[in-house]
Amino acid sequence: MKFRAKYILSAAALVGFNINVIAEELPDRQQALPSMPKQADHLYLESAPLTDIPEGEFGDKVRLGYQLFVNTQLLRDKNVGNDLNCVNCHLNAGNKANASPLWGAYFAYPAYRKKNDKVNSYEERLQGCFTYSMNGKAPESGSKELVALSAYSYWLGMSGLMRQHNVAGPVPELSDSELVKGAKRDDFILPELISSKMDPNALAQLPGRGYPAVPKAELAYSPERGAEVYQAHCQSCHGQDGQGQMIAGIAALPPLWGAQSYNWGAGMHRIGTAADFIYENMPLGKSVQLTPQQAWDVSSYINSQERPQDPRFKGQVSDTQKQYHQHDGYYGKTVADQVLGSASSANFPKK
Amino acid sequence: MNKSLIAATFVCSVVSLPVNASVPATVQVCVSCHGAQGQGLEGVGPKLAGLSSAYMAAQIKLFQSGSRQNPLMQPMAMMLQGDNIQVAADYFASQPVGDISLLYRGDKVAITDPAEKLAYQGDWSRDLPACFSCHGSSAIGAEQFPRLAGQQASYIKSQLEAWQKGTRKGDADNMMANVAGKLTAAEIDQLAQYLASLK
Repeated sequence: MKFRAKYILSAAALVGFNINVIAEELPDRQQALPSMPKQADHLYLESAPLTDIPEGEFGDKVRLGYQLFVNTQLLRDKNVGNDLNCVNCHLNAGNKANASPLWGAYFAYPAYRKKNDKVNSYEERLQGCFTYSMNGKAPESGSKELVALSAYSYWLGMSGLMRQHNVAGPVPELSDSELVKGAKRDDFILPELISSKMDPNALAQLPGRGYPAVPKAELAYSPERGAEVYQAHCQSCHGQDGQGQMIAGIAALPPLWGAQSYNWGAGMHRIGTAADFIYENMPLGKSVQLTPQQAWDVSSYINSQERPQDPRFKGQVSDTQKQYHQHDGYYGKTVADQVLGSASSANFPKK
Repeated sequence: MNKSLIAATFVCSVVSLPVNASVPATVQVCVSCHGAQGQGLEGVGPKLAGLSSAYMAAQIKLFQSGSRQNPLMQPMAMMLQGDNIQVAADYFASQPVGDISLLYRGDKVAITDPAEKLAYQGDWSRDLPACFSCHGSSAIGAEQFPRLAGQQASYIKSQLEAWQKGTRKGDADNMMANVAGKLTAAEIDQLAQYLASLK
């Protein structure tokens, strides 16, 4: 089989009150991550095995991209300011459907993003990950790191499409300047066997892109209930204090809050985004174990803890909140008599 | 290995590993099978050096409660009560373990050995995460995630089978049984050999 059918019942959304209904009415500069709803008959892209990456310069870039993706700590203090690795949120080395796969993103860029109010190339999207999720300093445009991560993303996506459409031969090589743009552009060349069968717009909406939306919960989310969910289902791996588990100098299990985790500008600080991720992907290898209510609650528990400052902070939490946080998150809100954001740790600290 | 054979080997080991005077009295009960330095005895007692104190204390309690079933270890575990559980766990956790050259995820991209591939990359077509996403680089482990590197192959195999059969339980959300349950018999053999070879 070149690709695999997944027969997963689409979860019926529970209709009920949710705090998001209120949040959605407010202006929001930061859109939720784009994603595709999960359906019963989805055929997900399946990339070629890593053993198929060709020898030579192009293959070397793809390999470096893979290496940086699974061990992003190689860029610690250069571009990374926390203990996270890309693979923590993008499971199976960025290759897992419904865990924000790289192939889902690569074919959807360049794209407009509200977050910075402009059309972003793929490398600009990657730069955002470094600034926010990795609490770091983004590599320069055209740098070997961004070229490598782009090359790896492209190779996963194109090899998957070629397998799906029975196109033989190696993945066509692209120049560095083409690689970093992404594939949603008029001058992106698809092999004829694929373009004849696939609308380029469909490529930007591949099944499995992003994290599928968790069904609404009956009750408004609650960090108090979330703490109980955390203790029962999360802390054995992520620690009672949310700091994960260091092994051999690497956070084998990632920290979820505090100075070593993603900052207040990262998409994952949003209650909905983390709930989507958790519901679909946690605990690791088990998928969809919690109820939607538990996923919302535990997301609100994790995301109502302090973490590194929003890099767009200019000195006043209330200003940053007003400008960038009119959505389902806790930045600027008071939890346990503490205004979140007021005791945030530094951006891009050296280890 | 049947019970009588285990028992016979156990008796032999008592003869072959004399009681060590430098070992705390509480721990003497452990050394005939696990060795005075927790170095283990093939086919009898797994290596304990390199495991964390928290992990070992938890395992003793799991044997006592019956969540881990083993005809030899259950009665032995009962001999450790109260503070002595921690004393024994701390003693073995403090024993030296050999240096290992660490291989991080990503150091190798194309992996052809099936066990090494499972260990570093998993098999997500079966929702099988990489071993090292919890047990760490070269499976050296920490805290509640046991070190697998250099452990006896026979022990790793018997434990993966125990997780499959349900004679070993006690982790959060049955995570390890979920993983072990997806492994074939051949994969268990390959993984046991591979992990034991990491030194």
